[in-house]
Amino acid sequence: MRLYFATDIHGSETCWRKFLNAGKHYDADVLVLGGDMTGKALVPVIDDGGGRWHATLLENRSELTTEDEVAAFEDAVIRRGYYPFRTDPVMLRRLEEDESHWHGLFQEKMLETVEKWMRMADERLGGTGVRVFCCPGNDDQFEVDEIIESAKTVELAEGRVVDIDGFQMVSTGWSNRTPWHTYREEDEPQLRERLEAAIAKVTAPPERTVFSFHCPPYHSGLDDAPELTADMDLKDAGRAVKPVGSTAVREAIEEHQPALSLHGHIHEARGNTRIGRTLCINPGSSYEQGDLLGAVIDLDGKKKVKRFLLTSG
Amino acid sequence: MATIAGEPPYQERSLFVRKATGLVRGWSVHDAFIYATFSINLITLGLYIFADAPFIPKGSLLLAIILSGAYLVFQTIVYAALIAVMPRAGGDYVWVSRVLGGGIGFTLAVCGWWFINWHWVPIYANILSKEFFQPLGAILGWNGFVTFFNEPKGIFTASVITAVLAAFFISIGMRGYARLQKICFYGGMLGLLIIFGLLLFHSKSAFESAFNHYAVKTYHGPPDAYAATLKSTYHGASPLGGLAFGSTILLIPMIAFFNLWSNWGATLYGEVRGASDFRKNIYAMAGALVVTTILAVIFILLIAHTMGWNFYNSANNAWWNGKDALGGVWPYPVTLATFFVSPWLQFIVILLMSLWFFGWVGTVFLTASRVIFASAFDRILPEWAARVDRRGTPYYAILIMLGPSLIISYFYAYNSTFTSWTLDATLVIAVTFLGSTVAAGVLPWRKPEIYNASPIAKYKVGGVPLITVAAIAFLAFLGFCIYKWLQDGVYGSNNHDSLIYMGCLYAVALAIYVGSRIVRRRQGMDLGMVYNEIPAE
Repeated sequence: MRLYFATDIHGSETCWRKFLNAGKHYDADVLVLGGDMTGKALVPVIDDGGGRWHATLLENRSELTTEDEVAAFEDAVIRRGYYPFRTDPVMLRRLEEDESHWHGLFQEKMLETVEKWMRMADERLGGTGVRVFCCPGNDDQFEVDEIIESAKTVELAEGRVVDIDGFQMVSTGWSNRTPWHTYREEDEPQLRERLEAAIAKVTAPPERTVFSFHCPPYHSGLDDAPELTADMDLKDAGRAVKPVGSTAVREAIEEHQPALSLHGHIHEARGNTRIGRTLCINPGSSYEQGDLLGAVIDLDGKKKVKRFLLTSG
Repeated sequence: MATIAGEPPYQERSLFVRKATGLVRGWSVHDAFIYATFSINLITLGLYIFADAPFIPKGSLLLAIILSGAYLVFQTIVYAALIAVMPRAGGDYVWVSRVLGGGIGFTLAVCGWWFINWHWVPIYANILSKEFFQPLGAILGWNGFVTFFNEPKGIFTASVITAVLAAFFISIGMRGYARLQKICFYGGMLGLLIIFGLLLFHSKSAFESAFNHYAVKTYHGPPDAYAATLKSTYHGASPLGGLAFGSTILLIPMIAFFNLWSNWGATLYGEVRGASDFRKNIYAMAGALVVTTILAVIFILLIAHTMGWNFYNSANNAWWNGKDALGGVWPYPVTLATFFVSPWLQFIVILLMSLWFFGWVGTVFLTASRVIFASAFDRILPEWAARVDRRGTPYYAILIMLGPSLIISYFYAYNSTFTSWTLDATLVIAVTFLGSTVAAGVLPWRKPEIYNASPIAKYKVGGVPLITVAAIAFLAFLGFCIYKWLQDGVYGSNNHDSLIYMGCLYAVALAIYVGSRIVRRRQGMDLGMVYNEIPAE
């Protein structure tokens, strides 16, 4: 069985489109998206009147004078994983003054996009036989699960054990604590309990088991993240990295020794390592560039996964 | 909209960011500046290379440093732009492999950052001997210790110490190394200020007297050593204020050995938030280049003021010809500047200045470890090459950096034929930069999606992308340096045997790549899949 894994696309529509095409491109039977599907930012496109608009992306201000220019700018925003919205100066100021207002708008745009992506998956992969699993990550709101659950082609993997061609995959997007207090994070003991509860449902032998846990194992090299200062700046210009993975995930891998363990969460820590017999992979993420980092893995049910490639699509 | 008096002016919000992993406020230019400053290291590389300046007759050292320092800002733009377009990528290997192809990316990066750095270990070691062991040994009166480091045994010992230190810094990880570098930076800067103060507040006659005293007392040199040194005056040397432009331009490929490395740590963690991150990278790298250039100019002016420009050139010339007044010890300007104070103060200041070496030594293996990791993750190197232990130490990567460097250091120390084979060590790194610069130049056309999604897509000069303009300008610089290095023996790098040897290194790298593709294909893996872009539509 050939499995393609990508993760942390954070709202990048380019990456989602590539993900859907990855089955055909890599001849994969199963596509797994490891979490953090949703974007991080809203970008206002501001109406200056008289058919003129302005907006700022990546600190570059654009003056837009035609509908085509506005649409092209919005496309660029979407490709980067952000959500554009049209507004005027008065509405924008109101939005700024009311946090709940823009949070509401954020949620609306985010869920709207996930719904659109699910429809896109149906159109492209419906009837192809390629199975697609998504497991929202710690950055994804819980409402995302409901949308995935109602999709026809994409299957929700969170907390479940799914059977794939004689293998079983158990997934969760929950992580240990982060400095950002995101939606799905908890202390290590609770995370361990969550993992064990999910793993308990696995009936396949270790060589036919796959873990898909968003958070990477602690001190595996797949969890080296830039150290932050108290002000949330990158320490030493990002050169000081430290392991931030989960000890609970590491213990689960060490104890159960599945053939394969898939991770994401730390975009910088692209790589693979072995913990005992388990091949652990974090393909990393370059979603802002529209570059879909992933992993192609061939599973044959033997004790160790021997054939895999980290891809840069 | 009217602004109410007393209220801060309204600033329109252009981005609404929710709570999400990885969103950081920013990063300090100062921290990145420190790393770049260590890479174009005035004390370890600069002072060492400046001693070679008399080999280019009439070339103005001062002007060559200023001109090359200013021109190399193009290099910082090229690399800052590559980081902005493909951040977190892992540097030259990933940029070139993604833009120009895996084979060329692997071959250039492996030779330029990994294989060649085995050969840089004895070069680093040479500097350790000349700026640390020998001056300190001389002050302590350990004459045998001083001469030991001029012998093969000493060169090999210094190489082993250098390689083990660099390996240790890799093993403690970037976090520990970044902290150590900061300590070394502030300590080294304090040392440099002391040296500047000593040179500024003492006269030439005081120096002459101090030099005559310590040349005899510490180095067992001849009486009236200052005058004896001046007798070795190299008449081809340019006067300090010389403006012989043509000769000065010829001096630049020599100076490039010192100031071509501001991009050494060209990689960025965290998300690039926008154009300001591009500018910050330029500020960090170009800032290091400009500040180091200014410090170099100050140092040279102070040397001329206190030691005398003729003396400085003569001392270097005498040392190269084995007729120096310091018993075969390189006239390290730092050592000479400390002659105004007592021996134990000399010892402390030289120790302080050695922090420029100890903060820098890890760079000999650091980028190599990234190349090894990136190519192992691309499955070109075996999986074990990127393996880390429970403490995160990449023990196999350290082994394949450390082991060959020790073997090469042994041959470097004991076999003069082999020593000459390593003369092209700088050229190989410059060729790697050349590959990255070509990749940068064609990036807007080879990877339009990625380029157009980057914060630098808007920067154009006369309608041409800034990254391409900067790449062309930097290519001209690299092309000139490489041409001169190959064509003119004065730079010490147009050795025929060395070229063949370096060619063999390229052949080995290419063979690893081709062999790896064949082996992986037999295993059912097409390495082409690593780089092939998935269509988005």
